[in-house]
Amino acid sequence: MAITNLDEFLQSYFTAHGCKLLQNKEGVITVQLTEEMDRVLMNRPFYWHYIKKIGQNGEPMQLSLISNPEKREEKGEWIHFGSPRLQQIINQLKQKEKYTKLFQIVNTNLNTPLYPWLVINIKISYKGKQKKDELISIGLHLVNGAMKLEMMNLLENIPLQPAISDYCYTISPIIKIKSGFKRIENVLDNYIQNQTHPWAEESSQALDEEIQMLKHFYTGDTDTQMEQMEKEINEITERYQPSIIYEVINGGLFYLTQDIL
Amino acid sequence: MKSIQLKKDSVFIEQLVTAIDNDGQFSSWDLFSMAYQAELTTMTPAFNGLRSLEYLPHIEFLDHQVKCAEQVIETMNGRAILADEVGLGKTIEAGLILKEYMIRGLVKKALILVPASLVNQWANELNEKFYIPAVAHRKNYSWEQADIIISSIDTAKRDPHRENILDQEYDFLLIDEAHKLKNHKTKNYEFVRSITKKYCLLLTATPVQNRLIEIFNLVSILKPGHLGNYDSFLEQYGKDRKKIKQDQYLKQLIQKVMVRNTRQETVLNNTKRRIESIYIDFKPEEKEVYKQLENITRPFAAFSKITYLRELCSSREACYLSLKKIVNEKNEAIIEPVLNKIEQLPQHVKADKVIDLIKKIGDEKVIIFTEYRATQLYLQWYLQQHGISSVPFRGGFKRGKKDWIKRLFKDHAQVLIATEAGGEGINLQFCNYMINYDLPWNPMRLEQRIGRIHRYGQDKDVHIYNFAIRDTVEEHIMTLLYEKINLFEQVIGQLDDILAELNIRDIESEIQTIFNESTSSGEAKIKLDNLSSIIKSTYNQPVSEEKHYGHY
Repeated sequence: MAITNLDEFLQSYFTAHGCKLLQNKEGVITVQLTEEMDRVLMNRPFYWHYIKKIGQNGEPMQLSLISNPEKREEKGEWIHFGSPRLQQIINQLKQKEKYTKLFQIVNTNLNTPLYPWLVINIKISYKGKQKKDELISIGLHLVNGAMKLEMMNLLENIPLQPAISDYCYTISPIIKIKSGFKRIENVLDNYIQNQTHPWAEESSQALDEEIQMLKHFYTGDTDTQMEQMEKEINEITERYQPSIIYEVINGGLFYLTQDIL
Repeated sequence: MKSIQLKKDSVFIEQLVTAIDNDGQFSSWDLFSMAYQAELTTMTPAFNGLRSLEYLPHIEFLDHQVKCAEQVIETMNGRAILADEVGLGKTIEAGLILKEYMIRGLVKKALILVPASLVNQWANELNEKFYIPAVAHRKNYSWEQADIIISSIDTAKRDPHRENILDQEYDFLLIDEAHKLKNHKTKNYEFVRSITKKYCLLLTATPVQNRLIEIFNLVSILKPGHLGNYDSFLEQYGKDRKKIKQDQYLKQLIQKVMVRNTRQETVLNNTKRRIESIYIDFKPEEKEVYKQLENITRPFAAFSKITYLRELCSSREACYLSLKKIVNEKNEAIIEPVLNKIEQLPQHVKADKVIDLIKKIGDEKVIIFTEYRATQLYLQWYLQQHGISSVPFRGGFKRGKKDWIKRLFKDHAQVLIATEAGGEGINLQFCNYMINYDLPWNPMRLEQRIGRIHRYGQDKDVHIYNFAIRDTVEEHIMTLLYEKINLFEQVIGQLDDILAELNIRDIESEIQTIFNESTSSGEAKIKLDNLSSIIKSTYNQPVSEEKHYGHY
């Protein structure tokens, strides 16, 4: 589900923000920004401040993004996975799109119950000498406690919207959101416990070795020397101390029909 | 397992509950799912490998640069000496390493200490090439304000900056031209050691000229204790750097913290140095003045006489100004006739040669190096007389001016005339012709000059013309120092080691002494010849061993 097609990604991003696409072909996208998106992306607060002060609406800019390296000569910004513009968009997404509450769209004239799910997308970082990440998408049925992995893939095939469909009603959760989150954390803790962690052992070993070396280095025992040694021990510990970090990327409540399981 | 720290995220769920209770703002499915996709795209799924390469599709990295970055991150754990020879792209390697750490979320705060003249160049390079938002430190900035700051070490170590910097905790510290930190008793050294840092890169092109204890000092910034402590190290290895060749163990230890690529082993070999020595005869009038000056014994020390002779080989102006100063200060009548003769001299023979040569080269960009500012001015004027556009470059220029001159040279002027001080720290790969109007006596400086154009990014052969006037001190230096040792063809990197081995700390003053202490030019010639012979014979000793050093 990672971004593979940059053009599609950009198109959805701008469409989702209500911007009009003026052109999108052969890896060149031109959009007419809305005022909101101009403020977010174009970094010209003084313009907006000024134009509002004199009582005008202001003109949002157009933005041309070129994802096709062969078209780099054309007018616009070259956009690729390392480019500042894509980083900006990605950071915006990560910052803003953290919480959600969505309902399955159901076309029905029968009374239909929707069941609450807590969906959590969480990143686990393993940090020692090096670092790697793992992203886990997990869903918890807040009535019967069933759990599902790869929840995002599952949700992709379900039509969703922010408001509840006609004739549908929600079942109240039996498991509270916070204790639901605890359950999810426990599952992750178990998952971590059951792995072997050679990377952590290597890091701990490197940590011990370097601290030993350091102690060998300092022969004097003056206060300044000791202070310097303390400082360096901290630096080394900071660098090698194996740790595992949970970071929730985003999550929220999803109301789904019973049959999605 | 018990030694692994587990850090959980308690903030998110609190905020989610608050949002639900208050019926807050919720993301639409599209954007929610896109944020997840974005995370999947930007996370780092594996411990190894360089993610940064995908982020920098516009840079063509050379193999040795990528390998270097991998080695530093994966096996050296982010603390290393980067000791590539001049022009192989140490900046690129350092940028790649920093970028990788930033992408992996391991570095947020970085301090980059470089010579004052290079601050802007670093800032440009990191911003434009690597999209790393580095800012050059300015007077009224605070050190907390930006995450990635570039400054000169001289600014950084002064109060109040010093205190502020020592209060910060840096994830990444980079020191360019780190060989200046070789002495552990200096303020700079002590300052650098007291900066709190996680990862640390020391960049230097000339680490091996150092005595062993200097290497010890550099390594002690990165990994104190890696080479033992000061006393035990001195006891075991003394100050004799030959030991490094004998001691396999020490060599391996140093390899664990140092990457050194040489030109010989890298792709840069593709572009060749085409070197031509051009011998020129003085015009009769010039020759007469030279002889006259050579025969004067009083009133100046022998030490300065050789300087005036060198100046005369460069331009009337350079010599005239120096002599005039003596006359003014000491009121020496004996020099007056020489001065008068200099005033009468025609255009300098070398300047004529420069014009011929540039016309022959055609429309290509040319850099001229001279040792003297008077010559620089004179040449600029003389080129202009012949309709050739040029810009001057000096080490003393402010950063902004340097950048501006470089741009002028790139876009408008055909010729850049640089004095010695301009040798370091300006990159001119777009030019591939160089005229050494006069030769420095220290071959390392010649290497620095050539390194300006024969470096990473140069895609053509570089042409280097070296001028020397026959029957003068210049010819001696050219034939006895440069040509005899084959310095033009050889890569000079090794010369450092050899000089250190011979215990010659400063070849320039060594040569100076030779000239001063010789009563005739014949004697000087013999002594110079002897010196070159010694250097040459040391050269022929096992060079291959040297290559192991700092290398896998």
